[in-house]
Amino acid sequence: MYNPLSYVSSCLFVLIAHAAMLANVFINGNYNSIADPAIIAGAVLLLDVAYFTALLFFKQTSYTIDFLLVLVLNMSVIFQSCFGQVKFDSDAIKHYITAVTALIACRVGFIACRNYKSLQNKRKFIYIAIGICIVLILTLTGSRSMWIQLGPISLQPSEFIKPLFILACATSVAEQQKKHKLLLFNVVYENIALFGLMAVICLLQWWCADLGSLPTFMAIYIAGFLLRICYPKAKLSKKTYISAAAALLVIAVIAFKFAPAYVQERLHADIWSDTNGSGYQQSQALIAIADGGWTGKGPGNGFLCNVAAHENDIVFATVCEEWGLLYALMMIFVILIMLAVPLINPPRSYYHATMSAGVCAAFTVQMALNIFGSCNMIPFTGVTIPFISAGGSSMMVSGFMIGMLAAAQSPVLDNTGGQPAAAPKPPANRPNKRPVRRKAV
Amino acid sequence: MKSIRRCQHIMSLFLVLFIAGMVTLVVKIQRESAFYMMNSDKHVLGMVYDRNGDVLFDGSLKEGDTSKYEDNYFIDVGNLIGDDKGQMTNTLVAKNIEKLNNYSFSEGVVNEGGKAAIYTTLDHKANRTVYNAFAGNDGCAVAYNYKTGEILVCTSLPSLDVTKGYSELKSFREGTLMSKNMSGTVPGSTQKVSTVISALEIMGPERLLSKTFSCSGKYTNKSGKVIDCHELYGHGDLTLQQAVEKSCNPYFAQLVEDPDLDFEELKKMYTKLGYSVNGAEPEYIDIDGIECQKASTNLTDPYDFQTQWGCMGQGDTLVSPIQLMMWQSAVANGTGKMTMPHLIKEVTNVKGKITETASTSYSNALFSEKTADSMKQILLTNGANNYTYLIRNHTVGVKSGTAQVQNGQKENSLLVGFVTDPELPVAFCVVVEDRNNTYLTAEYITQVMLDALTPQAN
Repeated sequence: MYNPLSYVSSCLFVLIAHAAMLANVFINGNYNSIADPAIIAGAVLLLDVAYFTALLFFKQTSYTIDFLLVLVLNMSVIFQSCFGQVKFDSDAIKHYITAVTALIACRVGFIACRNYKSLQNKRKFIYIAIGICIVLILTLTGSRSMWIQLGPISLQPSEFIKPLFILACATSVAEQQKKHKLLLFNVVYENIALFGLMAVICLLQWWCADLGSLPTFMAIYIAGFLLRICYPKAKLSKKTYISAAAALLVIAVIAFKFAPAYVQERLHADIWSDTNGSGYQQSQALIAIADGGWTGKGPGNGFLCNVAAHENDIVFATVCEEWGLLYALMMIFVILIMLAVPLINPPRSYYHATMSAGVCAAFTVQMALNIFGSCNMIPFTGVTIPFISAGGSSMMVSGFMIGMLAAAQSPVLDNTGGQPAAAPKPPANRPNKRPVRRKAV
Repeated sequence: MKSIRRCQHIMSLFLVLFIAGMVTLVVKIQRESAFYMMNSDKHVLGMVYDRNGDVLFDGSLKEGDTSKYEDNYFIDVGNLIGDDKGQMTNTLVAKNIEKLNNYSFSEGVVNEGGKAAIYTTLDHKANRTVYNAFAGNDGCAVAYNYKTGEILVCTSLPSLDVTKGYSELKSFREGTLMSKNMSGTVPGSTQKVSTVISALEIMGPERLLSKTFSCSGKYTNKSGKVIDCHELYGHGDLTLQQAVEKSCNPYFAQLVEDPDLDFEELKKMYTKLGYSVNGAEPEYIDIDGIECQKASTNLTDPYDFQTQWGCMGQGDTLVSPIQLMMWQSAVANGTGKMTMPHLIKEVTNVKGKITETASTSYSNALFSEKTADSMKQILLTNGANNYTYLIRNHTVGVKSGTAQVQNGQKENSLLVGFVTDPELPVAFCVVVEDRNNTYLTAEYITQVMLDALTPQAN
């Protein structure tokens, strides 16, 4: 089958997209010396070429996600290097390094998650890793926060729990066959463990007074839960959907009712009545979006760079201001295409599909929290847009999760004939049907 | 494969919900971006014009720039049109500032040549003439076309020239920063119009017009309180028409006590007319965003002095001049429906494209056409019998009033009414404050206003 997304044309597409962005920086950007955008251009194109070369060493059925990843990462590098002024300064360099880290994390995620059997056998280590993250948060973070300070580096261990939690959900799928009698009920131990884990995460977020990431974990859990309860044969009927929606509604109502005071305040905040206080960031973000219009004020010409968290919590508005709403939507569109790849190219097993659904849930909820929160559609939280916001932990974890998506596309290939090896073993009563694999591109 | 599709459905659900949210966000930004920019320090405001193209507000003026317009050019509309400085919050500019924003999402902020503007229904020349007629006395006057709802004159004294800024704020007299036409005032005997309308509606014209009550100069009501008449020796037996013309308080006290005037029905009628009765939540009439206070009164018992006093326009009763004028429109139209007043005729955006055009609207029927006709006849007869020489060249239906304010230390003179001339379908309300310290009369202001609005005068 002919696939237009061939390696060379994909490389060219990414390079042209970045070149167009860089041309905009050269023409409309605010810089002191031509060397500033030139350095950015060199760094971006170097990373592109390096990644394209590195990809040659990985045998995959599809490279679509990888090309999209490097496309969006270098878009992010260009954005972050231009906020306020076009300059490849220390912040831009830091972001560039985290982008490289994300690409490496993606490869790690790809390698770690493609072999279902291997992960299934080691799933106790997933729980242990989550436990370590929780202990780190409880012991090493100061004053009930989510951050661990290691010299110049800040780490957010809760970010690392996200992919681990997705893996825990995905690897529990096969365990659904193993029901045990507990009191009067037939239960799956793994489900109880996951429920307990979710409860611990909720408590942890509450303890850290940082409930911003909670919806992301909830989304992962709900996606995993829905896919577990109907495994292997049960259908996701309308009844299931309605029940799940009703349960969600009840949980949301209870959560809002008993939310801490600072959350309640955000729920009912009128940002325009306190534009110099609690509504400062959001009101400035909205003004910046309005000021940027469709096409933006030009790279480096924004004022939002003077507002705290312009590079992460309100990064959507910062991009809108300098590059325009159209470009910001395009940036989100690229991330959405990455998440939609499993819809076009189906994951090769239920485990991989559950993993993809978890990644999709985590990314969409996180993007929604950031974008809609900063634009005053929902309460403002301090979460990041994957790949676009600055932040090492977020970038690394997002890269890893995209690696998980890529792994769901490609079977494990041996070194001899390119044939799939160690394919996931279907459950005993499951028809041995496999999705049609596409030809490698 | 079905099980994989199930996972894809879940993913699709997340993606679709997110995309729906993004679409909502884009729509929201499109609709609200002008508002966001108004909250920044980068906005550039457009103009406000009167119905003939006279400037009423110039957004391009720098603070303190008094060279572009003659001295006090804006003073007659200062507290109605207002400005963007934030000192006055209930003005046309303050309430519609987004419409003046020379900004669009696609164009951005247009510093030069933006065409965002509000075209009002006001007649600046007539408004200025009326303002000058007050000769520095305090008061207010408002007139509108009761066929279309266009406010033609709306001035309130004292006022200010907004181009001069607010450095002398502390020396401003009370009431300078608000249009008194929008605020509740003691209506005096103009309130009797509401009482007569209610009585006509409850009892029917035939029954009410056939009734007579006697006035001997004083009336001791059924709770033992004395109500004085301004005519020391009384008016004798009075019909409704005579009572309205003489503005006889004992007549109205007896009318309120009359068992034929069901008190509960009276309260309902007052509520229907728009009064906030007995402490009900006060409301506002919205005139292009400007909040106009609605009437309020206390009606507790038909034999109670304060209740009777309230039905004559004293006591706790408060009505804004605009609302007094609007009731006149319901009478003048002969339908019992008020024509809703508006100040904005058209709005244009930054490119000069018309984005809003006013249309005439009416309230629900407050009373029947029969009641409207009877009331109209009563007011026209009053106008013909008593105001022919006070308001010349215009056929008017009117009711005057004297309102005691500041615990009786001052008296305000009021006149409400309408003109029947089809070329000048105008309803009005004029208030002259502290009438005992001025030779100015409400009738004179009305004469000046109607003359200024008469088509040939323009």
